[in-house]
Amino acid sequence: MLAAEVEERILAVRSEVDRACQLLISPSPTALDSCSRLFETAGSRLAQLQPQLRQGAGNPAAQQEARRLRMAVMCAQRLLENAASFHVNWGRLLGALSAGYTERGDPAPAPRRGRICVQG
Amino acid sequence: MVSLLSTLLASSSALNAYEQVLEVTQSNVANSSTPGYAKQTQELYALPLNPSLGVTGGVKAGVVQDSRDQYAEQNVWRQSVSLGQANQNVSSLTALQSLFDISGDTGIPKALNNLFSSFSAWGQSPTDTEARQTVIDNATNLANSFQQAATGIQSVEQDTNQQLQTTVTQVNNLVGLLQGYNTQILGGDRNDAGLESQVYSTLEQLSQYVDINVTPQADGSVTVLLGDQTPLLVGAQQYSIGSTFQQPDDAVYTQAPPAAHILASDGTDITASVTTGQLGALLNLRNQVLPSYIGDAYQPGDLNTMAKQFADCVNQALTSGEISGGPNAQAGVALFSYDTTNDADVAATLSVDPTVTPGQLAAIDPGPPEVANGIPLALAQLAAPEDPADEINGASFTEFYGNMASRIGSALNDATSQQTVQQSAVAQAQNLRQQSSGVNLDEEAMTVVEFQRAYEANAQLVTILNQLTEDAINILASTTG
Repeated sequence: MLAAEVEERILAVRSEVDRACQLLISPSPTALDSCSRLFETAGSRLAQLQPQLRQGAGNPAAQQEARRLRMAVMCAQRLLENAASFHVNWGRLLGALSAGYTERGDPAPAPRRGRICVQG
Repeated sequence: MVSLLSTLLASSSALNAYEQVLEVTQSNVANSSTPGYAKQTQELYALPLNPSLGVTGGVKAGVVQDSRDQYAEQNVWRQSVSLGQANQNVSSLTALQSLFDISGDTGIPKALNNLFSSFSAWGQSPTDTEARQTVIDNATNLANSFQQAATGIQSVEQDTNQQLQTTVTQVNNLVGLLQGYNTQILGGDRNDAGLESQVYSTLEQLSQYVDINVTPQADGSVTVLLGDQTPLLVGAQQYSIGSTFQQPDDAVYTQAPPAAHILASDGTDITASVTTGQLGALLNLRNQVLPSYIGDAYQPGDLNTMAKQFADCVNQALTSGEISGGPNAQAGVALFSYDTTNDADVAATLSVDPTVTPGQLAAIDPGPPEVANGIPLALAQLAAPEDPADEINGASFTEFYGNMASRIGSALNDATSQQTVQQSAVAQAQNLRQQSSGVNLDEEAMTVVEFQRAYEANAQLVTILNQLTEDAINILASTTG
């Protein structure tokens, strides 16, 4: 495999991660599901590429593209952490508001109510 | 008849209520693009209905509910303060990096290489006047390059001082606006959605400059703290911050530039608590980054250290040599001079003594054994020193300069990455704020559980992807294919 091809394949992986970053800007359960698929695809593509990476060793363009990929992964990681932290803390707030506090002083888990949907 | 009147009254009350709902809806539509505006909802409640008693029911308008979520707002401010910091770092470090060329084509590295080359050429023709003159010319160029670098950094420092003062003024102006809004709210405008949107829009602007902690009060006003402790606004009372530049009492380098300080309205030094936002970035640049190059109360700065040590090395070699051999040997003269009273000003004052002539440069190392070109050879050796005394912190002069330059390059690279990530993080926080406004607690409790599972799954995938990316970078960086 040529170094240019390695670069192109890393670029393809990055575009998957970039799409996940776009979705994470508006995180919703649906968006997070789509992110999982994109991360899975990116990870498997990169794992498949691993044996051929040596053919791009020392190539500045391939290295640059790999650094861009790292940047995109870092961005995804940060967005994921921020959104997770937002929702976890929000969950704690909801718990405290709706169910009070535990004996240890922590917010109680928010009550979960089941729903039944009947269609006829 | 009574029943008909009651029905008419109930209908009239309902029409009034719905008119208010319409007004709130119109306001929501009209302000959909207003910065800081949060959706309002008109509460309605049912009136009792008991026809046998002539109570005809109906609907009545209650209070206007604000969908603003303080937790989501705080999240936006937290991301915004980091973006402000990254933006300022990119801007300041870009200006600083332009002063440090690592290509070797300009500035100190080029002048240093040229001087080393001229030492070598002089070593090959130790008595050649032209070779000696080239040494003097290249030494002059190097001294000028140090001066230009020092002047450039001092200029960045002046700009930073100016920006610090401007930023402090901007913070005070924005808090002044908030103080005006608080005054209006305390005067009876607390249910004005437009006024509230102005308050929150101003708070979002303020959060780019400093880390703020905002507490909405029962009277409708907002209390704003800088960090967790310093009051900026309480009710209608504004507490302005200030900036000052002063040397500590225990300063070692008393003539070095004084450090910048931020003062609370009571004069308390709050510099240590201002670590984020645009103001935090400026303080870090002014009190940490720039002094590492041109010094402060406790350090001479790397540029001055390098200029001094290089000048001393060259001068020491030249003055230890002899212009002519024999019993009446004449000692050589020093080439470089600088302000010896201020170690934090060496680079800015480094120069070549204009009275030095080619004939005064000593080439002979008196030994024993005497070597006719010993001094220029020793000077040329400074390019790749073998003697630890000719190194700075274990590095050659060229390497030491390279480390200074790469430090800025690396910091700028980090800041640029941080800026890119933070732009997305702010957009995300704004979307989360949008999502969380006007939520139903019961329904959202379910959603949060769904979120937590999805985050855990995604976090594991990203960890694997991160490791694969690091492996890829390491493989690509290896020299053997």
